[in-house]
Amino acid sequence: MGLFDWLKQGSDPETQAAKEASVQRQADIQQSLRGGRVPSDIATRLEQARTGKQPWIATLTPAELLIARSQGLKPIAAISATCWLHYGWSWTQGHAQGWEAALQRLRAEARACGANAVVDVKMRSIALAVEDSMDFTLVGTAVKVDGLPPSDQPIIATVPALEFVKLLAADIVPTGIAIGAHYEWMTDWRNGAKMTWMGNAESRPLSQLWETVRQRAHAELRKHAASQGNGVLAHINFSQMFEREVDKQPTQYLGRHIVVATVVDVPRTHGSQEYGRSGDTVSAQEFKMVVDIHAGKTPLTGTTRHHQAYYSNDEEGAI
Amino acid sequence: MSSQIPAYAQERLKGLRSSAHSTGVFTSDFSVNEFLLVRKAGFEPIGLCVGTCVYHVGIQYGSWKKNEELQVLSKAMYHARELAMARMRAEAQAMNADGIVGVKLTIKRLEWDENLLEFIAIGTGVVHGDGHKGFRAHDGGPFTSDLSGQDFWSLLHSGYRPVEMVMGSCVYHVAHRGMFAAMGSTGQNVELENFTSAMYEAREIAIERMQHEASAAKAEGVVGVDIHEGSHGWQTHVIEFFAIGTAVLPLDQEIAPEKIADPIMVLSVND
Repeated sequence: MGLFDWLKQGSDPETQAAKEASVQRQADIQQSLRGGRVPSDIATRLEQARTGKQPWIATLTPAELLIARSQGLKPIAAISATCWLHYGWSWTQGHAQGWEAALQRLRAEARACGANAVVDVKMRSIALAVEDSMDFTLVGTAVKVDGLPPSDQPIIATVPALEFVKLLAADIVPTGIAIGAHYEWMTDWRNGAKMTWMGNAESRPLSQLWETVRQRAHAELRKHAASQGNGVLAHINFSQMFEREVDKQPTQYLGRHIVVATVVDVPRTHGSQEYGRSGDTVSAQEFKMVVDIHAGKTPLTGTTRHHQAYYSNDEEGAI
Repeated sequence: MSSQIPAYAQERLKGLRSSAHSTGVFTSDFSVNEFLLVRKAGFEPIGLCVGTCVYHVGIQYGSWKKNEELQVLSKAMYHARELAMARMRAEAQAMNADGIVGVKLTIKRLEWDENLLEFIAIGTGVVHGDGHKGFRAHDGGPFTSDLSGQDFWSLLHSGYRPVEMVMGSCVYHVAHRGMFAAMGSTGQNVELENFTSAMYEAREIAIERMQHEASAAKAEGVVGVDIHEGSHGWQTHVIEFFAIGTAVLPLDQEIAPEKIADPIMVLSVND
């Protein structure tokens, strides 16, 4: 490789052709996404995976594959979706918008490869802070179930394959992701949040701010989840509070809270002994004590974190 | 160099246990559990295989306002990994291994020169206990896989065998947005379509390359795929999209789901 090769690049016809192809590909990606379609290169790849002309691709570990195969699931393709959003109006609402857009796109890819479900869906975001924006990326494995026709509305499960199978065994279907996000500004007219000279006392204004923000976020979560199932699991809670001092004006506080959760559909049979039937199927199984032959983390829950977008303060946990 | 193994390495390989040299010593980086499961799967470790490559990565700049693949960097990242892997595989071949499990592929930056990267591939060469040759890759050489011993066992039990570690890489320059564009979208939540399409294109290139390798290895599928992004000290808007996994083929014939034992609920006594 010569020292000045990089200066010459762009001049040979091959590179030139590749550049033009790239420009076209990007135009196609943008147009397709605007129209709610799968970009054509990806559609071709997924079609080939569906018909078995190309190898299938699974993000599952072999242990996960074993479990999935035992339940008649077969991987088709690794699929992904991204929405890179600039939050000019609201950072908080942007998160709900961003994930929702990515979710729709992921579902379109799943449909394009004839899947019944997408398992092992991971929420990711690249560490490239650009002008108040963030990418919302979902990566997962589209699977089909032996003997089922392709679904119109494939299930999107943000749980690892093992947990997916566990839930199915208990008659519970993980159906998607629900997001609740809310933020609120509070102007502290009476300077009530400044407690420099006080003893032990609750900061009422700030408590109240938090309560409102969290309650509204969870109300949003319920609303969003209700359209997909009847319960949520596996919360991620993310919250932040900021103080803003403005010259000769009362201090302002911003509280924001985001909850992301896996939606499940649990069968409900009211008013009979059958209620809680699914719980019984789990506890009816005999539990065995075992020494598992694995070193370190279990290979049954994948190799990478399932949610990597909010790890900055997830140790706080749920309220 | 990749096909010729230095004399001292050959000496080392000769000392390893094999059918011709049953009193030799085997070397491996297996944990106890891994060792037990690899043996349970019917394989014996023979020796560690190492491949390394120090690579000078060329220079390439993306144009400021353009989404584009940086082909010089893509090729460098790919070529260097390929060299390290091929050297590791040559060692395995020399010790007559049927395959390599637990390959770890790492990249290190050498501190005195930011364009020098060291690529290391290391794994344990294994042979089938009964001398079954059916586990080798399509070219008759050893299979390669990044599967741990546990993964290896699980894979065989789900009806597949590893063929080759496959990967696809794309180093991509994400365009900067102009000042004008940034001002225009203040006060609204809008999708940055050029960024979205950059992610789509780069990821697609990486996946397609990996899939291409898998079909060249005549595989049926790829397991354990990890698609991730990384930066190796380039400018802020330059990202490498990397897809890696193990290409697999069904054993003699595919195992029907009914034949695979149902999972049992267990309460682990591990931590």
